[in-house]
Amino acid sequence: MPLTQDPLWYKDAVIYQVHVRTFYDSNGDGIGDFQGLASRLDYLHGLGINAIWLMPFFPSPLRDDGYDIADYRSVHPTYGTLEDFKKFLAVAHEGGIRVIIEMVLNHTSDQHSWFQESRSSRVNPKRDWYVWNETDSHYQGTRIIFLDTEMSNWAWDPISKQYYWHRFFSHQPDLNYDNPAVREEMWDVMRFWCEMGVDGFRLDAVPYLVEREGTNCENLPETHEILKELRHKLDQQFPGRMLLAEANQWPADLRPYFGNEDEFHMAFHFPLMPRMFMGLKLEDRKPITEILQQTPEIPPSCQWCLFLRNHDELTLEMVTDVERDYMYDMYAQNRTMRLNLGIRRRLASLLDNDRRRIELMNGILMSLPGTPIIYYGDEIGMGDNVNLGDRNGVRTPMQWSGGWNGGFSAADPETLYSPLILNPVYGYPAVNVLSQKRSEHSLLSWMRRIIEVRKSTAVFGRGSMEFLYPANHRVLAYVRQLGQETVLAVNNLSSAAQAVELDLSRYKGNLLVEMFGGNIFPRAGNSPYLLTMGPYQFYWFRLRKI
Amino acid sequence: MSTGVSTQEPPESLRAEVKAEEESFLSDEFVRQLINVGEVDILVGVPTHNNAKTVGPVIQAIQAGLLKGFPRERAAIVNADGGSRDGTPGLVTAASIDDVRRTPNLHALRTLHSISTQYPGSPGSAPALRTILAAAVLLRAKASVVVSPDATNLEPDWIPRLLQPVYREDSDLVTPLYRRNKFDGLLLTNLLYPMTRALYGWKIREPYATEFGFSGRLASQFLGREIWNDESWQSGPQIYFTLAAMAGGFRLHQSFLGSKVLTERSSADLVPALRQTVGVLFSSLEPNFPVWSTKAGSQPVPTAGPDPEFTLESLRVNRKRLREMFVVGVAELEPVFRSILSPATLAELQRIATLGEVELHYSPELWVKTVYEFASSYHKSVIARDHIIQALASLFRGRVFTFLMENRNGSAQDVENNVESLCLEFEKWKPYLLEVWNGGR
Amino acid sequence: MRELIINELTQAVHEITREVVRFLPRLVVMLIIACVGWLIAYLLKVVVRSILRLTKFDKLSENVGAAQLLHRAALPTSSELVVRLVFWVAWIGFILVGVNVLGIVGLEPDISRFFLFLPRLFVALLIVFFGLLAASFFSRAVLLGAVNANLPSPRLLSLSVRTVIIIFALSMMFEELGVAEQTILVAFGIVFGAMMLGLAIAFGLGGQDLARRFLERRFVHPKKKEEQEDELSPL
Repeated sequence: MPLTQDPLWYKDAVIYQVHVRTFYDSNGDGIGDFQGLASRLDYLHGLGINAIWLMPFFPSPLRDDGYDIADYRSVHPTYGTLEDFKKFLAVAHEGGIRVIIEMVLNHTSDQHSWFQESRSSRVNPKRDWYVWNETDSHYQGTRIIFLDTEMSNWAWDPISKQYYWHRFFSHQPDLNYDNPAVREEMWDVMRFWCEMGVDGFRLDAVPYLVEREGTNCENLPETHEILKELRHKLDQQFPGRMLLAEANQWPADLRPYFGNEDEFHMAFHFPLMPRMFMGLKLEDRKPITEILQQTPEIPPSCQWCLFLRNHDELTLEMVTDVERDYMYDMYAQNRTMRLNLGIRRRLASLLDNDRRRIELMNGILMSLPGTPIIYYGDEIGMGDNVNLGDRNGVRTPMQWSGGWNGGFSAADPETLYSPLILNPVYGYPAVNVLSQKRSEHSLLSWMRRIIEVRKSTAVFGRGSMEFLYPANHRVLAYVRQLGQETVLAVNNLSSAAQAVELDLSRYKGNLLVEMFGGNIFPRAGNSPYLLTMGPYQFYWFRLRKI
Repeated sequence: MSTGVSTQEPPESLRAEVKAEEESFLSDEFVRQLINVGEVDILVGVPTHNNAKTVGPVIQAIQAGLLKGFPRERAAIVNADGGSRDGTPGLVTAASIDDVRRTPNLHALRTLHSISTQYPGSPGSAPALRTILAAAVLLRAKASVVVSPDATNLEPDWIPRLLQPVYREDSDLVTPLYRRNKFDGLLLTNLLYPMTRALYGWKIREPYATEFGFSGRLASQFLGREIWNDESWQSGPQIYFTLAAMAGGFRLHQSFLGSKVLTERSSADLVPALRQTVGVLFSSLEPNFPVWSTKAGSQPVPTAGPDPEFTLESLRVNRKRLREMFVVGVAELEPVFRSILSPATLAELQRIATLGEVELHYSPELWVKTVYEFASSYHKSVIARDHIIQALASLFRGRVFTFLMENRNGSAQDVENNVESLCLEFEKWKPYLLEVWNGGR
Repeated sequence: MRELIINELTQAVHEITREVVRFLPRLVVMLIIACVGWLIAYLLKVVVRSILRLTKFDKLSENVGAAQLLHRAALPTSSELVVRLVFWVAWIGFILVGVNVLGIVGLEPDISRFFLFLPRLFVALLIVFFGLLAASFFSRAVLLGAVNANLPSPRLLSLSVRTVIIIFALSMMFEELGVAEQTILVAFGIVFGAMMLGLAIAFGLGGQDLARRFLERRFVHPKKKEEQEDELSPL
């Protein structure tokens, strides 16, 4: 199945986020690789996804799971070679699956040759490629992102005896974007991958590119200029490629990243995600509707990227203190689960392994306006291991079967890059692809079905969004519309059965067709439309006038 | 062949719920609103009738109190209205916090519903209370509180203070404690408090309360009783509720709130006040006889907050008129009193009525005997019961006169001591009540 | 001559005896009926007494205030009264039936009239009973209301209300009994009318000032009223 040529392909995408290391080990060294990933593309194709977002796979000392890059034009040897990657890319494209890779613009590893040169002496030509200073007093008041490990945004370099700026770990020095040479080089890197055939880039940590005194060093106009420049070049030379922004900001502050359709194509909607979990626990739609009401309109060609979980902690930066305390008390009673103002647990464990809640959250994810991202393993309900440091608890090997190493690798279990999940609830004997494939009623089969339904209409990816506000606040209901197509989504956030009356007078005369089973429901009329819903149930109705 | 049908009795709460629905006391529209609110943890009931002038700030204080004291709990405000024509219900429902109507300065984690309904029939406290109880039971509220719509000095803090003992400490009834003027609420200090304390054995200062908290348990028990068609206490459900809790062995609690707000009533309203309180108290004695006849002495009730002291500002008081009305009453109502009181008591009253302003002293002992004889005559219905209550008004005025004279220069502690000794007098003469109750006079 | 007289006497005695003999069974029957009637009346009395006891009639009449009334009138308790009434009416009824049997012509219409009169007597007694009750209740209500509202001379008001109601009840009773209907009607009308007229004149002339002050207070100087009230609130 060839790739679609539609420049707005990302609006219809269902993205699968995966780290090559975690997926499948083809050469028995205990670490996943590209050959393995390529061999498993059938599975992803069967699941129905049409885009893969790969976590960083460039050479790296791996002190931040690959986000500390030591070489931008190669593949980390444990994952394979550049050839392996090209082959993987070809197989993906053949199967109609696009590939999005990480591009960490803001910083490199301190092991990168550029930094090695830069720090070697103060007069090195690459000195200015990073942000150096005599003192650590500049840019005061800039917030520290990795609160649990870093004390300051400046680090002392004993070699050249100056401070260098780093917004993340101290071993990830920030590149200096005021230097045109840096900007040239980074564009060249991106061109390298585009020429190879990569379909899109997730630009990591974009708000922090440029620093200026007297600001909070985030979202500065200079940063936007640089990004617009990149986008311009991309549109000129590689039309149809996509830029996705990772910017953990309030929606109003995110809007500038779309520019005037001259910056990013997509951006993650960070503030929505914790509110979905909050609304579920409160059994009240208010957090969700409020944040979406506050979300500004974005240009027509742009798109929000929605997700339930990812490789990072479930961030609680964009909520009030009362809300954060509530989330901690509800979802992370055990303090080891808390990290950096967030919660480091997987979807299934956050939802108590409750099948109904997992389905509901996925249902909301797939019907809100935006492109959904599925984190690898969440489609089978994998669990987490909070005893692994940092955020590694949600990055354990993919569980393929109940056998040796969960079918991930033929190596000895002790050599695996990460221990497997073993407990009887989430361990690989209980949760794995093979057993779920056999059952029509497994979570995996259900995920396939919902992706299928989602892809059956363009309304979800491209349609408008309007909330209905039924008096029963435990029900979240909204209408998506694209041209003549109208879809009504009704979600019961409560653990108890609910009755809800919807005002469908605007859609009077339409029959409701339930999209999963295809059965017709009574016509919408002037009087309130009564729906009774089971615990955590959701409906998707297509409205048809016959 | 029928399938097995459970013959077990449904639990008390379910029975009460079923009764509430069967009686169609709640309108369909209100039931729909209750469905939309769903289960709540906290319910605030506000009975209204043409209170548009004062209800606005009261509702705001309630909201602030809920958001401060119970930010994570599911809460709802339920307004039982008697048919207001000044837009009172609209003011209450405008206070909802949800995704359609957001209050810009208040950050609420959850939706806060604020619903209103008009109960059938004429305005009165009994149907209002019944509506609020029904809502509390149907919404399965763990703790509820009733707030008077003209409590203009209601502080946000009052709401948590009335709710915490129920919500977190498992109490059933929380009555308020107010800081009052020493001459305010004399019916309470001279009759209701001492008598309920002596009879039911609990030291509850404000058995007649316009702000009080209660548990779902007490609500469903009270709602399920066959009393809602009984006329005898329709005028004063508040005190009946307290008495039911005291007699039913429920867990009691008192919380200090603040100063008591004075509504615009005057002392001319004595007879209706007596009907609402003393009438209800007397009529409750008969069904509760097994409970109060066996209690002796009184116990303190767990109390939160400081013991309120009396304030000493002087009030405008027409002592002369009080004495005159007492003396006239004793003289003119003699035939009535002869049916009610014992000859000894009546003779004593007539004697003191002849005394001058300075010598007239309606002693605690005489007052206690008066009240007890009235109670037993009420029980025997020697004459129409309402007439018995009306007759008490004159004698009460005499007692008020004596209280005023006794305490006009006293400190707060002195007044408190006098009230305490009156209470002890009531407790001491309890056997006398039992005697006249059963036998003749 | 003597023989004639003796003959006549004997004949007369024979006739009388025959009459008596003819009359005697009926007399006996009447006596039997009377006795049976007494028995039945007595049984009825017992039954009614127990019914009244079961329905707590005494308590009821105490509630309504009738007991006091009767006690003051040195009458027995209300249930006793009812029981005795039932007994006597029943017995007299039976006796009259017996008398009827005697066949004394001329008494029959009177007897039937007696029986027809009974219901009206009953109704009249009821009217008086309830009238007395109402008088007692309302006069007491007025007394209490007047005392509590601090109106002048409450006893007078109470007494006048009682009197009016009793007169009213008595008039109705007489009307029901059909005794001097017209007289009572007219007398009542005259007395009542005179009373009202008298009150009107008294109030109109004598109460001018009072009325003026009252109206002024109510409608012109509402504030003044408040000054007289004190600030005490019972609850």
